[in-house]
This record gives sequence, structure tokens and C-alpha cells, in this order.
Amino acid sequence: MKLRPKLSARLGGPAAALLLLAGLTATACAPQTSDTGATKDDKSGTLRVWLFQEVGNGPKEQVVDAAVAAFREKHAGTDVDIEYIPVETRAQRVKAAFNDPGSAPDLIEYGNTDTAGYVRDGGLADVTAEFDAWSETKDTDATARQSVTVDGKVYGAPLFVGVRALYYRTDVFRELGIKAPRSQAELVAAAKKIHRAKPGLYGLAVGGAYTYGALPFVWAHGGDLAERDGGTYRAAVDSPAARKGIEAYASLFGDDNCPAAKCASMGGNATVTAFASGKAAMAIGGDFSHAAVEAGAVKGDYAVVPLPGVAEGSVAPAFAGGNNIGVLRSSSHRTLAVELMKSFAGKETQAKLFDTMGFLPTFTDVRAEAARKQPYVKPFVETLEAGARFVPASPGWAQIDASLVLPTMFQEIVSGRKDVAAASGDAARKMDAAFAAAG
Amino acid sequence: MTGAGALEGAGAAPGGGAVPGRRRGAAGGIPGRRRGAAGSVRRGGWTPWLYLAPALVVLGGLLVYPVYQLGLISFLEYTQAQVSGGRPTSFQGFGNYAALFRDEQFWQVLLATVLFAAACVVATLVVGCALAVLLTRVRAVPRLALMLAALGAWATPAITGSTVWVFLFDPDHGPVNRLLGLGDFSWTYGRYSAFTLVLFEVVWCSFPFVMVTVYAGIKAIPGEVIEAAALDGASPWRTWRSVTAPLLRPILLVVTIQSVIWDFKIFTQIYVMTNGGGIAGQNLVLNVYAYQKAFASSQYSLGSAIGVVMLLVLLSITLVHLRLLRHRGEEL
Amino acid sequence: MNLSRLGVRRPRRLLAEASALVIAVIVAFPLYWMVLSALKPQGEIQSAEARPWTLSPSLDSFRRVFEQQEFGRYFLNSLFVAGAVVVGSALIAFLAATAVTRFRFRFRTTLLVMFLIAQMVPVEALTIPLFFLMRDAGLLNTLGSLVLPHLAFSLPFAIWMLRGFVKAVPEALQEAAAIDGASRTRFLWQILFPLVFPGLVATSVFSFISTWNDFLFAKSFIISDTSQSTLPMALLVFFKPDENDWGGIMAASTVMTLPVLVFFVLVQRRLVSGLGGAVKD
Repeated sequence: MKLRPKLSARLGGPAAALLLLAGLTATACAPQTSDTGATKDDKSGTLRVWLFQEVGNGPKEQVVDAAVAAFREKHAGTDVDIEYIPVETRAQRVKAAFNDPGSAPDLIEYGNTDTAGYVRDGGLADVTAEFDAWSETKDTDATARQSVTVDGKVYGAPLFVGVRALYYRTDVFRELGIKAPRSQAELVAAAKKIHRAKPGLYGLAVGGAYTYGALPFVWAHGGDLAERDGGTYRAAVDSPAARKGIEAYASLFGDDNCPAAKCASMGGNATVTAFASGKAAMAIGGDFSHAAVEAGAVKGDYAVVPLPGVAEGSVAPAFAGGNNIGVLRSSSHRTLAVELMKSFAGKETQAKLFDTMGFLPTFTDVRAEAARKQPYVKPFVETLEAGARFVPASPGWAQIDASLVLPTMFQEIVSGRKDVAAASGDAARKMDAAFAAAG
Repeated sequence: MTGAGALEGAGAAPGGGAVPGRRRGAAGGIPGRRRGAAGSVRRGGWTPWLYLAPALVVLGGLLVYPVYQLGLISFLEYTQAQVSGGRPTSFQGFGNYAALFRDEQFWQVLLATVLFAAACVVATLVVGCALAVLLTRVRAVPRLALMLAALGAWATPAITGSTVWVFLFDPDHGPVNRLLGLGDFSWTYGRYSAFTLVLFEVVWCSFPFVMVTVYAGIKAIPGEVIEAAALDGASPWRTWRSVTAPLLRPILLVVTIQSVIWDFKIFTQIYVMTNGGGIAGQNLVLNVYAYQKAFASSQYSLGSAIGVVMLLVLLSITLVHLRLLRHRGEEL
Repeated sequence: MNLSRLGVRRPRRLLAEASALVIAVIVAFPLYWMVLSALKPQGEIQSAEARPWTLSPSLDSFRRVFEQQEFGRYFLNSLFVAGAVVVGSALIAFLAATAVTRFRFRFRTTLLVMFLIAQMVPVEALTIPLFFLMRDAGLLNTLGSLVLPHLAFSLPFAIWMLRGFVKAVPEALQEAAAIDGASRTRFLWQILFPLVFPGLVATSVFSFISTWNDFLFAKSFIISDTSQSTLPMALLVFFKPDENDWGGIMAASTVMTLPVLVFFVLVQRRLVSGLGGAVKD
């Protein structure tokens, strides 16, 4: 009984002694806060760049190398060190880079949903002046521009847009006498009909962790994730319209289409993989998935149409994904880094990236040219033109995304743990907390 | 040493059999400089501290100091904006803890962690001890086979072991479901089946330590003792319970406390096998929960607060353990 | 008498040996599957038919592992980090264990308890403070940022395990040495150290494994300098956003596991006697 206080008393002395020792080995005594803004702007030296490692990265490397070569020709005495980092673990690495300017790169590729968060973290440099002075940006489409903009300031250049549409198996549809769905009701009916006829196939592959596949359902029913409320956002996933969309998506999990036991844990890539390997008759995939599907077992037996909305013949609003290139605030080569950013995100490189990787350009003229050259792009461009949507441009979004608020909500619903009202209510509370914390 | 004096006495009691040899040698010149607390040091003078110095410097700088920072962060508002955005930190008092304790999920995760760790410890100890006994009863070839297999499991990186186990139990491609005729049963979908799967992996990679240690302990017991029991007609179970186990008690205590420490901190297995905590976070344990809070959500203070809670829970388990030791009159 | 005893024991022993072999197979099966998946040609790994053998083994996956940029460098880096931690923690823990077992001094028990408590610190939670510590020390992006934390995390356990070993060396030996005129330092390094060596080997296994297999620090502290990366990074590249390269993961895992296994087999005997000695009082 007496051990506890005595022991703690005994621990006090040595602990203090050890702390003293520790004080000798480290000078700081409180947790760090740092302002990592740059103090100089070198016009020569090595620029460090992080780009995302893509599926089949080879062609991207060639395009990038060409852009680098052109850049080095113009700027003597510079060198460019490119590293391709995995998308999955980017958050940690980028945060680490923000925390340690010494080892941070000068230029990074980043997902457009991360923009607001990175800006709030003080990681990205404001390049509004350079962006506006750059002649090519007059053709940048509005959605893409919005994806690099926070509070009216520009923090990078859009590299490509990604948008999702409906992939379906033409052979299966023909065999069962189904036509490409023109409304959400038809889509659901087709999915269930296929699974009944071919139990080995998912009708429409859906994933409980596939937020960007689920959002079009929410938007198609007139719902939204959050609404702008003065300076901040207020969650709206629990609004009646949003709930209807959530319900529609959740209804696709079940033994009549995509069994929850398997599909609840799937993310977007898993659903596309299922489609590509011939295990699903339909999937919601991006233009960027085109290469992977082409390489799969279903090559030649599939087509793509815009994901149908609620009304017959309408298109469900898609999520306008994509990546941007931005200069780090800590870069000691700001001028050069901006030039390199332009060279990566300029029209010439974007056109090449489309040719080799299928990334949709963010310049309207380059994109139109692309669609003319490659007909497979058409449904995606149509989807974009029908009006793509974006996630809330709040720094809170990064946190909502990272703490899996929406996947958790969908998984709770499809596994039968909570009903739509309860799960969306919880999600809305968590989102509001994140928006509030973000200010 | 008596029970009451074990802990305190071991530290400062001047009595008992002095060992004169220890006072000779290198420390000879130092006693003159003693002052303050050092005045009560009876034996060895500064020598033990000299020997301890490297360990204390390393641990102080790289363990105690970070733990102190961890505690400090848990009382501050500390998100990415403070870390790299140059915003000042602000003192929150117990605000982070209050937020944590209000969070229903935290209590669920805490409960799951304790139960899961307990299940892992028990399963690991049972399997490890049973196989250690088995090792003593077989000839060289089977013993070597089992030993090598166990060492292989031990040597495998946790991330690999976890990946392979998920693979083995995959509903579509895994051999286990085919072997057991489970069809396409998804182990990771249900909360309990997912925890069970992780438990298998944890036992697989941690029983070798228990097995090898206990086996070594049994080997150290004179063979006649066990022979005698066997000749008396005692069953293996009885021999274990009334002869082997009591002799092995110190070893068993060590492997138990080590297992508790390791299993309570399980991270990689859960993170890899249930994909960061399972469907809707059903398989979260404290360590993964803290990591998700700190790194995924950048809520470093909440993550730190969870880390502190973990430390406190483990600490209280150890105190109970030490009390048991003291109760039995054992010395550290 | 002798005969009847054998008669009773033989079936039981055979049963025990049979079950030992079966269990060995079960325990080894995941490892077998790992190597098998590494050898399977690409298309076969994820095929619906999970065969426990392959008719056309291929070294492609291993080739992908070895052809990675600077794979040899990663390997050497890993070896260096693990080696530095093993040697460092063995020496430091030996000194510390000697201090806490062969001397009586104030705070001895407290220190012991603290060494035990130190093992409980959740490593993952300390990544943040350690990150800043390493940054301020200018060690980020260097192998030093891996060696130091691992040293700190393997020390408490090593000290704890070594105690029994040092204790097992008879006191009389020290007195005899002292009478022979050996200084304390000489006794420590020339007499005590060799006697404790088997125990050092046993504890080294733990520090080696935990350091060799670590991913957390390897990916948190080596931010952008690939020349300072360790082996786990060569494995992580196969976890890809679209679909993991299972063959590569398994091949890289095999490559990572092998050295540890060899190390294990080499020290197996010492490990058994070592662990026995370490926990004996």
C-alpha cells in the first residue's frame, strides 16, 4: 500500500537529475515552433524536387527529364535533383519537410485537396504575382485555378485535373441486354441485375473508403459536404438532400451487388483494380485509371460514360481532383523554383504528360486538343464541362480527409453499425469541429 | 532480505554483508570530493555512477527528455500550424485530456487495447510455455526444426509478418480459407475476427521469445528433479505445475512483464493488417489511435495525451508487478 | 526395468516428436509462403488458385529488389546502423548492468525501476519530440538520427537482461583478481567482460532485430537524402498506390529476413544459454 507514494518520491530526484543531464545535450526546453520562411534567394545551385510516384512512372520521368533539361539550358549553374515519393505516405514526408527547411525540397507536387492545409501549415509560398504575370495562365480553367487558390492568393500551378466517370464492361452489358445507364436508378438496377445473373461479378464495384466515388451521389441528390457560412464552413452531410445521396451509395453495398464484407474496406484503387482484373462489371474510375485498365484483363471489352445523375440524361457532378506544383516557403531558390514550376506545369509539359500518362491538362486549349487526339478522353471532358465540384477549400478539410471522417461514416452505414441519420450526424459534428479548429 | 525492506533496502540500507573488494581501485581518490547527497553513498563511491554515465546520458537525452516534451505537448495547443507555421503555442491545461476523456471512442479503444493485449499475452505465454516443454521432450532433429521455425518467425520484420498473414487469410487468394473450407469469409470485416487474425500473427511472432527463454530456463533445472517427478507417476501437467513452474517463476515473471509491455504497445500488426484500424476504426488500439491523431490529423497534443495515458497504464501495471515482487520478498 | 520404461516412453515421445514437427511446419508456413510468393511469376501471386507451390519459379521479383537504385547502399546503411547500435548498446549496457548489480548505492533500485519503465515508452508517440531533437542537433537526414534513438530504445531492455548475467559471475572472482593486483578497470574488461559475453550476444539479438526491422524512424528521420536510407525503404517502395507489388514485397522481405536468420542460427546456442543465464537469479 505504501509503495506507490514512496516509489514516486524516489523517482522524483533522479528524474530531475536526468532532466538536468538532458538539458546539457539539448538546448531547447519547450516544444518547437518555427517560422520556416526563407531568407535568401540563390540564383544558382541545386533545386530539390519531389514528384509523386505514379502507376508506371517511366513515361512521367522522361517528360520530367526533358523539362529539366530545357530548364537547365536556360539557367546555367543550376542542377535539379528529382525524387519520386509514394502518394500514400506523402502527408508525413511533406509535414517533415515543412518542419525542417534544411532537408526540405524547393518544389513539390501536391494533391489539390491538400492546398488549403499546406497553406495553413505555412508550407507553400504565395506566387500570385508570378502566376498572373505568366502568359499561359490566361487559358487555365476556372476549377483548376480555384484548386491552387486560398483566400484569393495563388499557391502554385495546376499540373493536371483528374475526374471520374463510369467504366463498364461492354461484353457483359451486351450479353445481358443492358444499355449504358442514363440515370442513377438505371445504374443501380443494372448493377443488381448483373450481380444476379453473374454472382462472380460485382455489379458496380464500390468502396466504403472511396470518398471520391461516393461524392457524386451526394452532389447528384442536391446535397453537399459543407456550406460556406461567412468566413468559415458548416458541415452539411447530414442535410436531407445529402442523406438521400449517402443512402443511394450505401444501397450498393450488399449481397445483391457488392457484399459489405468485402467492399466496405475498399478504396478507390481497389475498385478500379477489381474492374481491371475482370471482377466487376462497372466501376467509377478516373481518366488517370485509363492506363491501368488498359493493362488489365478487360482491355477491349469496356467503355466509359459520364456517371449518370438523378434525372434521366443528366451527369452527376464529379469531384475535380488533380495535382498542383508549388514552391515551398522555405526554398532558398525562390526565383529559380518558380521558373522550374512554370516549366513543369506549362502547356508544353502538360501536353506531353497527357500523351504519355493520360493526365488531363488544366489549360482549356490544351485539353480540347487532347480530346481531339484521344477519343477516350471525351466522357471525362464531358463530365468536367457538366460542372465538376470541389471539396471545401478550408484547411480543416485536410484534417477531415486524414482522419477518415467520411470513410468511417460510409463504413458505419454499410456494415449496419449505424443508420444514415446517426452516422451522418456524427460525421457532421466531426467536420464542424475540424472547421472550427481551422478557423 | 525481508519483504518490507526489499525495495527501499536494496537502495540505501547500509547494513548487510559488506564486500570490501568493491571499495578498492579506481574510485579511491574520489571520496574526498563527495558532498551533499553523495555523502550517503556507502560503497563503490562514484564508480557505479561512472559506469552508469554513458547509459544515463543516452537515456536522459533521447528518452527522458523526449518523454518530458511529450508530456509538455499534451498540455499545449500544438498542431501543424504551431509546428511549422510559426504560430505561438498556447497552454491548454488539462484541456486536451478533457477532450480525450469526453471522446467516446477513446474509452472504446482503451478497453479494446487492454482486452486485446491481455488475450495476446495469455495466448503467447501458453503457446510459448507449452512448446518449451515440448522441446525438452523431443530428440535433436525435431527440436532443431521447431527451433529454427520459431527463430524464423522471430526474425521476420513485423511489417512483413503482418503482410504475409493477411495474405494467407485473404478471402479470395489465401490458402487458409481454402484449407478450412471457409469460402470467401472476410477475416478483416468483423471486429472479432479481425482481432483474432491479428492475435494469430502476434502470437506467431512473439511466442519464440517465450519459448526459447523458458526452454533455456528448464534446461537449467537439474534433470533429476523432473526425472523424480516423472518416476513418481506424475502427469506432464502435474510435473509442470508443481515442479517446473515454481522453479521457473522468476523467468515466467520476466517473460510475462515483457509480453505485457510489448503487447500493450502493439502497433505495426494492427496498422498493417487492419489497414490503419479496421472498418470504421473498429480495430483501433491506443498506439495506433495516438498515431492517427498525431500524424494523420496533425493533432499532436491529442496524440501526445494518448501517449501519456498509455505510459500511465503501463506504469500502473508495473507497479502492481513490483508490489507482487516485494510481497514475495524478492529483490530487483 | 529399463526395458519397461522405454516401452512406456517411446510412443509418447514419438507423439511429442510428431507434434513438434507438425508445429514446426505450421510455424514455418508463413515464411515458406513469403519465399514462395517471392519466387512466383507475377501473374500467379494474385490468381484465384492459391497453389502452395509454383511450377515456374522466377527470380524476377528478386531482380526488381536488387536493381533498385542504390540497393547495396541501403544494405550497407542498415548494416552500419544495426552494427553501431548493437556494439554501442552492448558496451553501454554492460557498464550499466555492472554498476547496478555489483555495487550498492543510493537510487540503485530507483534506477532499476526506471530502466523497466523506460521500456514502456511507446516509441511511436516519441517520434515527434525526437524529430525536433534530431533536427536541432542537425542529424536529420543522416544515419546518426537512426543510430541514436535506437540506441536509447534498446538500452533499457539490454541492461535489464544483462543484470542476471553479471550477477552470475561469482564475487570471489573479483576479490581474487584484486588480490592479484588487477585494477578495477582491468577486472572489468579482461575478466568480467569475457564471462558476460554470451549474455551480451543474447541481448544483442534484441537490439539487432529491433533496429534492423525498424520502419518508423527510417521513414520519419531520413527525409530527403536517399543515400542515407536503410533497407526498409527498399521494401516500402513496393507498397504502391494502385496495387502493391506483392512479389517485390515478399522478395524484399526475404532479403531483409535472411541476414537476421543467419545471425540467429549463428548465435542460437549462445542465445539459449544466454537467455537462461539472463533471467536466472
